Amino acid sequence: MNFKNILSSLFTYTPKETYNFILLEKSNSKTSINHSEENILNTKKIFPTVSINLEYVKSKYNSMINSDIVIREFIINVRGKQYSAFLLYIDGMINTDIMNRFVIEPLMLRNKSNLFDGNHDRIISEAVANNITVRKVKKFNLPEYIMNCLMPQNTVKQYSEFEKIFNDVNSGNCALFIDTLDVAFDIEVKGFEKRGVEKPQNEIVVKGAHEAFVENIRTNTSLLRRSVHNENLIMENIEIGKITKTNCALCYIKNLANSDLVGEIRYRLNNLQIDSMLSGGQLEQLIVDSNFLSMPQIISTERPDKCTSYLLDGRIVILINGVPYGLIIPAILTDFLSSPDDKNMNTSFSNFIKFIRILAAGITLLLPGIYVAICSFHQELLPTDLLYSIIVSRENVPFPVILEILLLEISFELIREAGLRVPSPIGPTISIVGALVLGQAAVSAGIVSPILIIVVAITGIASFAVPDYSYSFHLRLYRFIFIFLGYCCGFLGIGLGLFVYISLLCNTNSFGIPYTSGISPFVYTPGHSYFLKPIWKRDLRSNYLNPKKERRQEKIAMKWKYPFSKEDDIK
Amino acid sequence: MTNTKISSIEAIMLILTIFVSHTIVSLPQNWISNQKSAIILNLIYVGIIAMLLVYVIYRLFKNFSSLDIVDISEYLGGKTLKNIIGGIFIGYFTISASILLREFCESLRVIFFPMTDVIYIIIPFVIAMFINNSVSFGSNVKTISIVLPLVLFSIVFLFFANFENFSFERMFPILGKGFFNTFILGLGNITAFGGISCIYFLPPFLKEPKEFKKICLTSIIIGLLYFIFCVSTILFMFSFFTEADEKLPLYFAARHIEFGVFFQRYESLFMLIWILEISCYLMVANRFSMNVFQKMTNLKNTKYLAFIFPIIIFGISLIPKNYAIIRFFEAQIYSYLILFIVFILSIGILIFANLKKKKERELNAS
Amino acid sequence: MRLKILACVIIFVILTVAFSTSYTTVNIDNIAVVVAMGIDLNTDGTLKVCFQFTNPSSISENGSSEQSSSIIKTVTSTSINSAINVMNSNIGKELSLSHCKLVVFFEDMAKKGITNEIYTLINNAQIRPSTNIVISKCPAEYYISNSEPLLENLISKYYELFLNSSQYSGYTCNATIGDFFDKMLCNSCTPYAILGGINFQLPNNTNDAFTTIEANSISNSSNLGGKTSSENIGLAVFNKGSMVGELNAIETLSFMCITDQINGFLITMPDPYNEENYIDVYLTPTRKTKFDVSFVNGSPFIKLDCNFKGQIYSMTSESNYLKPEVLEDVSNACNNYMKYIITEFLYKSAKEFNADIVGIGTHSLKSFLTFDEYADYNWLENYKNSFFDVNIDVNVKSASLLSNS
Repeated sequence: MNFKNILSSLFTYTPKETYNFILLEKSNSKTSINHSEENILNTKKIFPTVSINLEYVKSKYNSMINSDIVIREFIINVRGKQYSAFLLYIDGMINTDIMNRFVIEPLMLRNKSNLFDGNHDRIISEAVANNITVRKVKKFNLPEYIMNCLMPQNTVKQYSEFEKIFNDVNSGNCALFIDTLDVAFDIEVKGFEKRGVEKPQNEIVVKGAHEAFVENIRTNTSLLRRSVHNENLIMENIEIGKITKTNCALCYIKNLANSDLVGEIRYRLNNLQIDSMLSGGQLEQLIVDSNFLSMPQIISTERPDKCTSYLLDGRIVILINGVPYGLIIPAILTDFLSSPDDKNMNTSFSNFIKFIRILAAGITLLLPGIYVAICSFHQELLPTDLLYSIIVSRENVPFPVILEILLLEISFELIREAGLRVPSPIGPTISIVGALVLGQAAVSAGIVSPILIIVVAITGIASFAVPDYSYSFHLRLYRFIFIFLGYCCGFLGIGLGLFVYISLLCNTNSFGIPYTSGISPFVYTPGHSYFLKPIWKRDLRSNYLNPKKERRQEKIAMKWKYPFSKEDDIK
Repeated sequence: MTNTKISSIEAIMLILTIFVSHTIVSLPQNWISNQKSAIILNLIYVGIIAMLLVYVIYRLFKNFSSLDIVDISEYLGGKTLKNIIGGIFIGYFTISASILLREFCESLRVIFFPMTDVIYIIIPFVIAMFINNSVSFGSNVKTISIVLPLVLFSIVFLFFANFENFSFERMFPILGKGFFNTFILGLGNITAFGGISCIYFLPPFLKEPKEFKKICLTSIIIGLLYFIFCVSTILFMFSFFTEADEKLPLYFAARHIEFGVFFQRYESLFMLIWILEISCYLMVANRFSMNVFQKMTNLKNTKYLAFIFPIIIFGISLIPKNYAIIRFFEAQIYSYLILFIVFILSIGILIFANLKKKKERELNAS
Repeated sequence: MRLKILACVIIFVILTVAFSTSYTTVNIDNIAVVVAMGIDLNTDGTLKVCFQFTNPSSISENGSSEQSSSIIKTVTSTSINSAINVMNSNIGKELSLSHCKLVVFFEDMAKKGITNEIYTLINNAQIRPSTNIVISKCPAEYYISNSEPLLENLISKYYELFLNSSQYSGYTCNATIGDFFDKMLCNSCTPYAILGGINFQLPNNTNDAFTTIEANSISNSSNLGGKTSSENIGLAVFNKGSMVGELNAIETLSFMCITDQINGFLITMPDPYNEENYIDVYLTPTRKTKFDVSFVNGSPFIKLDCNFKGQIYSMTSESNYLKPEVLEDVSNACNNYMKYIITEFLYKSAKEFNADIVGIGTHSLKSFLTFDEYADYNWLENYKNSFFDVNIDVNVKSASLLSNS
């Protein structure tokens, strides 16, 4: 580094390259991109021309970007005549064997039914009167012929409206469109993975579904498709990694997710110059705004139902081939304290559990630090009897409080880590031995005081009560900072540490959304609150996501209860 | 910083931070020493005057949408006046933050850290200021909107928890030291609403500038209620504040909170909350100082200002030799400083700027 | 990033070093928790300060029940702070007064004045305003060394609980040092403290026709038998910082009634139908005492209104409390009894002590427009000229379990 460089670095101002994506608030302009995408023809009836049907289906299913939508064009031979046709189905949802043997083969290959070289019309009866021959002729009915002769499949239906066809295609059927016909055939060929999928290992719920993602991306996308029977669910395929070319699916609901947000995530995924992408954690760290404070900004989940719930909120899910986790973007602080079970339970139960989780997070972060601060500087807080118990229990302990607590906390982390690595038959035994016997032995030997064992144990249990693994790890890490602060300067250190921590939390953004959205008690965030409202009041989506559709349900969702009342009459 | 927009509620919280901070130290005591039992009447009277003043300020700002006092002084008197006013406000923010910091740290030293020099108690606050200055203004405001409700709740809790110890007769004699002392000399207590200095800098940051009037009046009303709670707690509980001088009177009141035998001695938790509040105040003072300095010097990069102003505050806070000087400054000089800068000078600038604007309009019309 | 970590480490080291002196003095391993403090005045003007600590072995499981629950150390010095200083060096740990439950002053010292000592104690950041203040009729050291808990294990527990009885017996009061300091500086009331002592001998008290033996009891000479131990009956009355008198049990009860510090109490008064018998009535205040202060020829004229509801606890073989007129008679007897004892107490406090411990002066503030007017009137000087009109309304509702014998 030469002198000139030193001078220029000291006195010249070069603006720092900061990447600052902010999710803008909804504009009221009707010419915005969100509105233009709504102007798709909502046709109901099937066209008699196959090319028009083809174009319509391609635009409706966004086949240019949707990677699992398959359109198979071919020529059908029917009684010597040839008709253009195409099959529409979703890869991963159908049984390929059935499709090939019982749908494509009878339609495409030459057989007795196809080879016919005669008059298609059939004479039913004939009468002659006054030298005039009157014949009753049955015209050749192509749909009927195909249904009866060319479809050796147990369930085939004919529909003349697109909506019904699409509903069944979304459920795993395939649709056959033939030129000159204004009907389409809906053929039952479902063959997606059922219950090969296992239970979630790390996110166990009481009342929810027990399916978890697997390594195969197509299976995972089908798990999401099965919950969201909607053609607006988009699964964009993106390849990441120059060598591994890992397939990632960017999943979102087109008419809900904010286009700017989708565009930003797509931009970040497409601009990763890496050789390989092998895990969800790797991708998480590469695309978040900032890794400072090691605060998780993406939810990593193995549950499809959780992904579905967030998709319906307007968020985006990334599935990676080879990784049994889905990444939900964006995620704010309150999301890491929520569990999929919350919406399954009664509101009062959920809110009670949510309150317990807040306590758990606070205890994990602050309890050891507060204990150290109280023992070091603020003993007047303790009731006199408890103070005496602590003094007496610490009489034989040779270490100061700070060393004692660090010893125990690190031992606890060691036991936790050992429990993960130990083979499963003896894993629980090690945990029990480590926790109980070692703790008891340490107290008997006078190395630590019994009250500290209780403090550390409560902290450990509280950390397990936090639903998200990354977030609980973050709390476990940062409690050491509060321990040091409490030891240094008591409540002054804890207070200032807490203030700086809150400040840095407020400074964090998750894909343009403030991390602490909805936390301040006096700042109203429509559609979002940590504590759940009764289900009939959850009619708005969270406004910080700026979704395209604000309302998730009518103001009076329970029409059975209030069939005739106006909205304003109901409180 | 000027790109950040804050909502109405966040703006109110910002203003209230300034109101609340000085009540934690010796401000209520100064009031009670001066007005004795008439303090509540005096506060209501002064509050009404503050509301009128704030309404006047709002009307004067109406012609200058999205401009703050520094911009208006530039319009009035060019760069010279802008620099002078900017310098005065920077001085005001840094001095008030320094004095508050020093006073609070002196009290902390007495209560928690008897053997530690006050300089080492100030250092953690300075470090916290460094870190807070390096984050964005929007984050600062969000932090305040999380912390301040806690502080307000703590004072309300303090009031109701000590309710059984109250002796409401201490409100009498109703006129305290007399009519003249209560309503004429007591007018000086309007310096309690020194947080109005924040209002002069808010207009460029508001998401909804139309709500400016609502913000101003709501913050004065909440501030007034807060002051009444604060002062009532001390007035009704203790008779000796009229005679003896106590550090941190609210802390003294918190020491009396007892629920049975088990729930006692929780004043340290109040101190924890008040440490958060003082940090909020320091953050606001730093932010506005940096903002004014940036306007004065047209700096693009404010990164290093994040370190300069906390160091200045640290330095000024070490100047007073002892606690008596701090109390003298706070009780005698600081109130005149607020009166001059926040009320006389600023309103004067606004009035003259409005007159100049009116003249220009008339000239343009003719 | 490395720079940030280095900066954090340096800051941590600086703060640890800076706060280490405070940490060394106040951390939990280095403190000796003082439970009670006694202050006597020597003849040469020096103070004899006594500190009581809890014996740790009495708390631990291995501790023997035979061992004393506390350790007492005494030191002579010129001031309280120098006594604390000497004790710090003597026991090798820093004294912590934040759990001190009791401060005891010797009566002789209290009579000379304890203003400076109270200021010193309040000025100490550790002493809590809820610490009880006791004026002992015997030397403070003797009082503390005889404070043995009867039914508790820990002496601190005993100190926390022993004044609970004030809320239902009324023979003592929960006087705290914070309250004492407040009233000492107040110009509309005077302070009071708990009166304590050691029961040396059986009493030599006589009771008059209206009051009973227990009503006249006072610390140091109550009729409590058994092992010698400290007792707290009555109040010490102060005028500013000097003790001017004592109140016995019944006077303390009157004081507690008027100042609304009692939840319920038992009175034993002569039976209206048979003067040789006594009946016990449990009274509960129904509302706060109402004060009305006016001035007649410059002297305060004070009207008090107290309301109680009662329940008859005693029963004899001839009692019949089902008749309304009997209950009415008992109510009237209670009215007279309460009026007598309260009036006696008020006049004693005014004429004999000239000490407004009830705080009637705060009720008189309404009559003045400005503080200067009040200061010019000088309530505390004029209190001795006060006249009292006490109105008592007792409504005896019923007897206890039995109504008719």
